[in-house]
Amino acid sequence: MAIQPQQLSRRTVLRGLGTAISLPFLDAMLPTRLLTAAAPDGTAAPLRMAFLYVPNGMHMPAWTPRQEGARYDLPATLQVLAKHQSNINVLSGLTLDGAAAHGDGGGDHARSVAAFLTGSHPRKTDGSDIQNGVSVDQIAAQQIGGKTPFASLELGLEASSQAGRCDSGYSCVYTSNMSWRSPTSPMAKEVDPAAVFQRLFAGQTKTENARAKSVREKYRKSILDFVQEDAQQLSRKLGATDKRKVDEYLYAVRDVEKRLVGAEKLHLTEEGVPDYPRPAGVPKEMGKHAELMLDMTTLALQTDSTRVLSFMFTNAGSNRSYPDLGVSDGHHEVSHHGKSEEKQAKIAKINRFHAEKFAYLLDRMSRVAEGDGTLLDHCMVVYGSGISDGDRHNHDDLPILLAGKGGGRIESGRHIRYKNGTPLCNLYLWMLQQMGANVDHFGDSNGVLDKLS
Amino acid sequence: MPSLDDICRIAAGSLHSLGRSLAAMAMLWCVTTGQATADDAARRAAFEDQLLPLLRTYCFDCHGEADAVGGISLAKDRTADELRKNRRFWLSAMQQVQLGAMPPADGDSIDPATATRMVKLIDSLANAVDCVQHPNPGRVTLRRLNRIEYRNTVRDLLGVDYKPSEGFPGDDVGYGFDNIGDVLSLPPLLMEKYLTAAEAIAGEAIRTPPPPRLFYFDKRAVDAIDADKYSKRDGRLTMSSHGTVTVQPEVPFLGTFTLRLTAGGSQGGGEPVRVQIKVGDREVAILDVPSEDPEEHEVELRLPRGKRDLSFSFINDFYDPKNKIDRNLDLYHIHIMGTERRQTVLSKSDLPPSHDAILFVQPGGNVSPEQATSQVVSRLASRAFRRPATAEEVKRLSQLAAMVRGDGGTFEESIQVVLQTVLVSPHFLFKVEQPRPSRAGEPRPPVSQYELATRISYFLWSSMPDDELLLMAHRNQLSDRKRLRQKIASMLSDRRSNALVENFASQWLQLRNLEAVDPDRRQFPTFDDQIRQLMQRETLTFFAAVMRQNQPVTTLLDGEFTFLNEKLAKFYQIPGVRGDEFREVSLTGTPRAGLLTQGSVLTVTSNPTRTSPVKRGKWILDNLLNMPPPPAPPNVPELNKETLTGTLRERMEQHRANPSCAACHKVMDPLGFALENFDAVGRWRTLDGGTPIDASGELPDGSRFSGIEDLRQLLTQQRRDQFVRCLIEKMMTYAIGRGVEYYDRCAVDEIFAQMQSKNHRFAYLVAGIIESDPFQKQGERE
Repeated sequence: MAIQPQQLSRRTVLRGLGTAISLPFLDAMLPTRLLTAAAPDGTAAPLRMAFLYVPNGMHMPAWTPRQEGARYDLPATLQVLAKHQSNINVLSGLTLDGAAAHGDGGGDHARSVAAFLTGSHPRKTDGSDIQNGVSVDQIAAQQIGGKTPFASLELGLEASSQAGRCDSGYSCVYTSNMSWRSPTSPMAKEVDPAAVFQRLFAGQTKTENARAKSVREKYRKSILDFVQEDAQQLSRKLGATDKRKVDEYLYAVRDVEKRLVGAEKLHLTEEGVPDYPRPAGVPKEMGKHAELMLDMTTLALQTDSTRVLSFMFTNAGSNRSYPDLGVSDGHHEVSHHGKSEEKQAKIAKINRFHAEKFAYLLDRMSRVAEGDGTLLDHCMVVYGSGISDGDRHNHDDLPILLAGKGGGRIESGRHIRYKNGTPLCNLYLWMLQQMGANVDHFGDSNGVLDKLS
Repeated sequence: MPSLDDICRIAAGSLHSLGRSLAAMAMLWCVTTGQATADDAARRAAFEDQLLPLLRTYCFDCHGEADAVGGISLAKDRTADELRKNRRFWLSAMQQVQLGAMPPADGDSIDPATATRMVKLIDSLANAVDCVQHPNPGRVTLRRLNRIEYRNTVRDLLGVDYKPSEGFPGDDVGYGFDNIGDVLSLPPLLMEKYLTAAEAIAGEAIRTPPPPRLFYFDKRAVDAIDADKYSKRDGRLTMSSHGTVTVQPEVPFLGTFTLRLTAGGSQGGGEPVRVQIKVGDREVAILDVPSEDPEEHEVELRLPRGKRDLSFSFINDFYDPKNKIDRNLDLYHIHIMGTERRQTVLSKSDLPPSHDAILFVQPGGNVSPEQATSQVVSRLASRAFRRPATAEEVKRLSQLAAMVRGDGGTFEESIQVVLQTVLVSPHFLFKVEQPRPSRAGEPRPPVSQYELATRISYFLWSSMPDDELLLMAHRNQLSDRKRLRQKIASMLSDRRSNALVENFASQWLQLRNLEAVDPDRRQFPTFDDQIRQLMQRETLTFFAAVMRQNQPVTTLLDGEFTFLNEKLAKFYQIPGVRGDEFREVSLTGTPRAGLLTQGSVLTVTSNPTRTSPVKRGKWILDNLLNMPPPPAPPNVPELNKETLTGTLRERMEQHRANPSCAACHKVMDPLGFALENFDAVGRWRTLDGGTPIDASGELPDGSRFSGIEDLRQLLTQQRRDQFVRCLIEKMMTYAIGRGVEYYDRCAVDEIFAQMQSKNHRFAYLVAGIIESDPFQKQGERE
């Protein structure tokens, strides 16, 4: 008995007939939201990129494998990733020249965060004339961000540093932000998992009370149009530096407006939202907080809410202690180990703790079935730090992991050693090109990183 | 009494044997703020007769005109004025000499005394500013309201406390404060939050009946009650004979609903398939289902509130096997939806005070909606923008309101939308100041009275100007010094100046770090979250007392009193304090006095397991003397492990025995050691690890001291002027929203002189800053 789709309401189709009808019939519905359900044939799962940052470098002897290639023993810190050894590549020898002093004196922590995703050498200033570079995630967001509700997501566990000097004459804006939309505009991080959930799925979960739109909600777009005009008029009257601030405002308004309009067009319904308990807020304990945030990370990628994501475990130079691990000293303090074995052991403990959380993320991502594989198979996830040894503050031979199979583009499960000094930006350039970005240069890249496929 | 110059020369000379690089710290200690000379002739002489010869001897071989190694030529600037204009370049050259990097060790070696002289000359020439001829008052970049300012402003404008502003992304910090124009940015994430906030706040301030509730109900027929009795396949329920399935929607409100049933059936026998629909026992419809394929059928239903049985029965089964006629019913999907009837009026008691304050005139009688709107909008926008709204602005906003009314919205709803717009307008979110260009040597234009009122109120209250201040601005009375000072005094006594205490003092003293410190539980079991909060409160109350009692600012360092309650007093082991309330407690006769001995400061300058004299010394240099030490080199050399025994002090002495560490640590450590009698959470102690504490120290300039009393004396007497200047500069940074630059030296000198003449009383610090040119006028960035 033939069923003519035109006679049916969308709800009926999805509810009443389950997956009997293949979705491309319904042009009002974008299949992207339903990747976890039966994916439409012929559509490959999209490629995603994510960047995770940990502070203060690593105890490198417990990180760098001795052997190269596909058969290598996992050193102590990486052993927590044993289950995922086939999903990760350990990359040695990559370097962030931008984070080195180059005559600017102290401030390696601020520089290491500022340079981590930009490859640039940030201008040393406590406030006036902030200048960094554009980060790799934002370049990708600019090029492919229009395909998803959020061009990119910036997440973290620590809000911006709130007190005093952050690092030797560098404003805290450098230590708290690793995603930069422009050399002068950082992207703020969201640190509350409940707020992330709300942003992604507002008004679309089963538990929301059904209510007609209030008058105020209906006029959101008109309000945005109105204030845009206000801001444009204002911008015309102001000097160059002030104009930059109003331009930030205008960009932000347009960005929100795009999402508003896009959401209406997508006619997003409840069906696409995976059944997931809504987080209640910010957990006090860091491990729990991290896991909740990493759940949100998985959720965001799984529902194709975004394909570009960055995550900071802490801000640069973090001096928090980890008493539950038996490290009651501050992390930064201990990272200046002066070759003390006891301190180095403590650093390794902290590194392992962070890596465990990374393993948690990989677990979550590898359990989401997608297309003919898993979510992790379609991702390129960078995990690492902009500092190598925390005592030497060196920025070469950085601790970097590349997880995921990049939709088949990455041959994972290896330790690849590059010539020390190879720019980290070469990796980023490769990743950008995989995402389809039209770039042949990024940061201080001197080529596209090889040996990854 | 040797002059500062003599001391510095001696200090520099005594370090000679340890190498030139060590001169760095000594020079910093000695070369404090140079004096600005307005005398052109003196500057010319300094440049030509003193600096040039030094440059010729030590620099021009590589960085002269002929050879400019690295593209750096020190010979390009021929006059004192040219040098001053090329400030940035010369200051970085000076830094190279200060660090000992230049002249390089393999060239003509320079003795420390000469190096110091060169540094001082470059400093005084590069940073020379003519205080007589309209010095540059500087220019602050457009500042947006930070998190706290936003919340306070909304509270003062509308009476709404928007707590979720705590979830706004953190404001980045520059120069130690989170209200610096250049540093504050507006990422899209924040804009989203502003929009959500504006909606919520507009709904709080002006109350309108809530929008009607909607009800949706969906169920597949195969999931209905009794569905198992029938044939189910692919989401289709087939009844081949008479039967009934039921669903039980839980209806939240009485109303009229639309039922949409997706059904079909094999037809035959002269009449269509028929379905009977009942609510409970009552039949509400008989539906004809004439199509074999599934079709949607709509029925209107009135349903009362509560759980109801809604049943669907096949009532006309027909079977004729001979003619192969079999009438069956296929059910697919049941969907119910409805909108509640809207409540249109709210009772008076539901309305908050802000509602009537904003809607002070309503349409009705001989007031048209347009007139009412225009008046309401004009007042609302003017207060929100902190200056009279222009006719154009009022017109545009009124048009927006008219659009809402035209779409069927009420007058209140139209003003809600206007309020929402105003709360995300750049004129609300930013402290807008009209650009007023001027040139060097010309008189500098003042900011407008309204702009000045905004600066003053955000400085003292972290919030918008109150009506009195706005009225003064309107009447041009802020230029009347006497009236202005009266207003400042009343603002400082007002409760709202707690914002100055909470926001300035906590950032200046780095108290916000107190939330993040984690002292080791085993060593310090009495330190808990409550103590943490009490300590913070102690320091802020102390600061507030000095402020409101108009005490000399040096009281912050040596005031022999504090504020405690019983729990905190017990923690400090100070006897005789009973009860939960905070009260003033005298510290006379105890070693404690002033900020340096308060738990908050002592804890944020410690490590989780022990004190850190280095951190404490650095804290004093950074925050009390404005002499931040140069950063530590990254590759701190390996320590000699065997000799790391004894008290902390003894262990650190060994560190300082290493010459490459000693230069900086010779200044920081003694300051920190003076505080060693206070442990990592601020308690008094006389032993550390069984050994008696030695709190003595010596500074590079030769001054010796022992313990906290001496340190206090050092700071409040020998270094008093430096402390006062430091406080002026810090507060100025906070007040104006930009870092203090070399050209601000004139203003700082004036404020300092005035404070000196008035015994350094707090109110003169505040008034001095507000009356200064950088606060009152506009210049340019350099």
